[in-house]
Amino acid sequence: MRDEQEHPADEPLVSEFASDPDMIEIVEYFVEELPKRVQAIRSAVTDSDVQSLRTLAHQLKGAAPGYGFAAIGDAAGVLEASLRVSDGSIEGVMGQVEDLASLCQRVRVR
Amino acid sequence: MTVDAEQLGEHVPIVLVIDDCEDVHRLLTARLRNEAMELVCEISGEVGLERIHQLQPSLVVLDLEMPGMDGFEVLRRMKDDISTSDIPVVVLSGMQSPNDKVTAFDLGAVDYITKPFDLMELRVRLRAALKMRHLIQMLAQRAQIDGLTGLWNRAHFDERWSEEVKRAERSGSPLSLAVFDLDHFKQVNDTYGHPAGDAVLQGVARLLQQVARQADVACRYGGEEFVVIMPDTPPEQALNLCERVRVALSDTDWPGKPSREVTISAGVAGSNGPTSTGRDEWIEIADKNLYRAKSQGRNRACMTHVGGAGPRLADAG
Ligand SMILES: [Mg+2]
Repeated sequence: MRDEQEHPADEPLVSEFASDPDMIEIVEYFVEELPKRVQAIRSAVTDSDVQSLRTLAHQLKGAAPGYGFAAIGDAAGVLEASLRVSDGSIEGVMGQVEDLASLCQRVRVR
Repeated sequence: MTVDAEQLGEHVPIVLVIDDCEDVHRLLTARLRNEAMELVCEISGEVGLERIHQLQPSLVVLDLEMPGMDGFEVLRRMKDDISTSDIPVVVLSGMQSPNDKVTAFDLGAVDYITKPFDLMELRVRLRAALKMRHLIQMLAQRAQIDGLTGLWNRAHFDERWSEEVKRAERSGSPLSLAVFDLDHFKQVNDTYGHPAGDAVLQGVARLLQQVARQADVACRYGGEEFVVIMPDTPPEQALNLCERVRVALSDTDWPGKPSREVTISAGVAGSNGPTSTGRDEWIEIADKNLYRAKSQGRNRACMTHVGGAGPRLADAG
């Protein structure tokens, strides 16, 4: 992906609002909660629960840019769109799930 | 009730956010922290709709895709209910198709913001929606305010009076109506000039505003005639209020013309309980009492009971 080329896979991903005093508290909250979201996405994959996977991807697409993580929003959007074309097949979107999960792993508050 | 700043929306407006995604609640709360608005967030269409009725917010920010009652349904129900149909709604949705936008606007939305949203843009759009709401309210209210005195005008009276008559008929609660008319007002105008006449009308209006209680509706009916609607008020109490106005007015010293006395007559129609008397009939009864007060020598108030067992008379002054 474009983003992967710009940043090496292990480089921390920092919120663009990291220095915004209005935002830092909820950015921290988002970063803290993010592993749970990834976990929920993985569970949905394991359970072949397409409906939940779609909801989780949809919410992350909407929310992540607000916390200053546009790349995660993009990746979640790609996953959501792939689910729409893969016709309910989880296997068809495994690549997109992994892309999203590895991006999330790089997230740091600052 | 007289016109005050709160009714013109000068208080901090309540903005209700209805979105099934809590991230949106958190983000908006953080981003709108310094805005002149009070943010309330709800997680579903069902609870959101309840809160709309309860809070009567100045603005609703509404998600479309929600489990259970979705945003379209919330819009539909708001527009079908007279108590919520004027509340502006800004849609905040991930649905980007022109069809969805058209449907939302058809259902009465005033703006449509797509997710993921830019918070700066959202902020100015909410400000614009609030400002529009404020101006529309102001215009609507101005159209019902008398320019000279600042009291409600005839148009507002006609509307409110019908409502109050219906309300009292339904609930069986007391209701009173007072009609005031300045005595020999033409002489004031002829002797002291129209500016002095206007000052008297403004003075009477101030007096009515002072004497009227929060729930009373004081209006300038036209010319030198004023009316006060007194919900939940028995006729004797209404007659009392008229007396206070009458006495205070005759005690008033008019600037520069200490010898000039201005007096007022009043007619009251009032009911203690259930009555099916029509709105126009009420006004006729109050007018008759006003006429009685005039013919008995002016500067007095006359009252009769409406409905119930036969008319009972009571006069003061
Ligand atoms: Mg939603």
